[in-house]
Amino acid sequence: MWRSVQRWRGVVIIGTIAAITLWLAVTGQLALYIHPRYNVFTVTMSIIAVVLAVASVVGRRDHDDEDAPPPRRSQRALGLTAAAIAGLFTLGMVLVPPASLSTATADQREMNATAGGDEASLVAASTADEASIARFTVREWAGILRQTSDLSFFADKPVTDLVGFVIADEDDPENVFYVSRFVVTCCAVDAQPLGVPVHLPGWAATFEPDTWVSVTGDFASNPSSSSLQPVAVIPDTVEPVEQPREPYLF
Amino acid sequence: MSSPSLDSSRAPGVHEGDGRHRSNDDHTRHDHAGHDHSDAPRGSRRRPAHYLWLVGGIGVLVTMVALRSITAETGPWGLPNPVQDLLTLSTSVVVESLPFIVLGIALSILVQVWIPESWLLRILPRNEWGRRAVISLFGMFLPVCECGNVPLARGLVRRGFTIPESMTFLVAAPILNPVTIITTHQAFGFDDGILVARLLGGFLIANVLGWLFSKHPAPFTLLSGRFAEQCRLDDGHGHTHSRREQTLDLFVRESSILMPALVIGSLVAGGIQVIVPREVLVSLGSDPLLSVLAMMVLAFVISICANVDSFFILPFASTFLPGSIVAFLVFGPIVDIKMLALMRTTYSTRTLVQLTTIVALMSAGLGLVVNYVA
Repeated sequence: MWRSVQRWRGVVIIGTIAAITLWLAVTGQLALYIHPRYNVFTVTMSIIAVVLAVASVVGRRDHDDEDAPPPRRSQRALGLTAAAIAGLFTLGMVLVPPASLSTATADQREMNATAGGDEASLVAASTADEASIARFTVREWAGILRQTSDLSFFADKPVTDLVGFVIADEDDPENVFYVSRFVVTCCAVDAQPLGVPVHLPGWAATFEPDTWVSVTGDFASNPSSSSLQPVAVIPDTVEPVEQPREPYLF
Repeated sequence: MSSPSLDSSRAPGVHEGDGRHRSNDDHTRHDHAGHDHSDAPRGSRRRPAHYLWLVGGIGVLVTMVALRSITAETGPWGLPNPVQDLLTLSTSVVVESLPFIVLGIALSILVQVWIPESWLLRILPRNEWGRRAVISLFGMFLPVCECGNVPLARGLVRRGFTIPESMTFLVAAPILNPVTIITTHQAFGFDDGILVARLLGGFLIANVLGWLFSKHPAPFTLLSGRFAEQCRLDDGHGHTHSRREQTLDLFVRESSILMPALVIGSLVAGGIQVIVPREVLVSLGSDPLLSVLAMMVLAFVISICANVDSFFILPFASTFLPGSIVAFLVFGPIVDIKMLALMRTTYSTRTLVQLTTIVALMSAGLGLVVNYVA
């Protein structure tokens, strides 16, 4: 029993995880975990893993390890525990529906802490026409907000259908929330939350944190006295929407 | 130490044909009388059994995928956010690392089974330092990131490389690696000497580490018990298996050892991400010494691949001093939670403590030098 577990645990785990990875790729959900630039590599290697796993099961035979002296009890327990944890996790990958990161992670990572491409987005924004401003995502707006709080800059630049999930502003959770997206450079582990502050007193009565919303409105001086954000969106409409297929920005 | 493991001069095809299994069984029986297995008749039942296993194996995979699709429809399970995020984060580390592990195992199999031993050993200089210097450049031709290098390093040890040499390879290859060099250059260009410091630092640490461990009186004790056992088994056996069998066999063995380590490493890495607020680290950015230490802790925790870590760290470059970025880029590929779990499959705990200490001190030193000089 111990020997079989020891020998086959890896094949079962690698085969299962690779198969699930392929399923994620086919259903377009790989983007929940890794940057799309790795899709081809990941799919190729997963196919190789599945083929090798099936081939090992088919070509199975008794092995040299069988001749090794029996392991100590403690080693055996350790090996079985490792197999059990890894097996449970694999089962979790099979059973628990894939999900994007939530506010629990956003809370652990400082909002708008990163500065990648800020200046570029400011320059782009000052020359952009209406149509492209209407397409700005959380990334562009967050970059601009880090660079300037000059209200005249925002005068003719309305926010149109800005999609993101709701997360409370820590400094004024009753009146201000962020429309937020994670930015991913490699995989979900490095996700950085970016957000645009929205001033809407009593928002929590209508939206739970983590709800995906689409916001339309204009930037104005933030009426909140305790929020640290000088500029916020005063929304015309805030509507709940479906989570986008690619919840992260890449 | 000459490599005992695989006899590459063996004529291919000698063991093909129906008699093969039979003779294998005989061979096993002969060597290990008393180890009684009632598998002698298996040869005759071989074909139907194979189809059965093929159908069974594919059946299990199809069931998994079917289950996966069904439960995906049932919507969110209402898991608490932190638990769900722990799963998402760990899964993302696993999904990100899996292709590299597969590539690493594949290259390891290639090196052990398909490439004649003489090729590898012929290109190496005889001089110890020269050998290690060349080995630390192997990554240029084997562009696997660090998790994939573990199976490869194991393969090299079994192919007759000394254990310190395998460490030199393990440490240098993820940094002195075309993919890493390109991505680091894309992210930083030649600003602040970050790229140059990373490459030189990686090379230096790898060679010093190899030199230090080469002074060890009993190198075999550096290995974990189980891996040392496997290497000894290789020594004692005259191998009579076909290359196809050896390939599958290595795949089974390597995945059995690496996959649990990968999953557990990813779980711990994901768990720490959920528990520890990142602001704690980021707030230390501008102090020459503390920023270096904070970045090393971040690198240790986040367990991200060397091929892509420059993109991750780029946004921090404006708040952190360049030396701390270098420390992140040098320390991270060599030592992090996921890597320790993977390396533990090969080296003893004691070795890993020593290795971590040496690498940490040297990376911190390098970071400080860059901070004060650049």
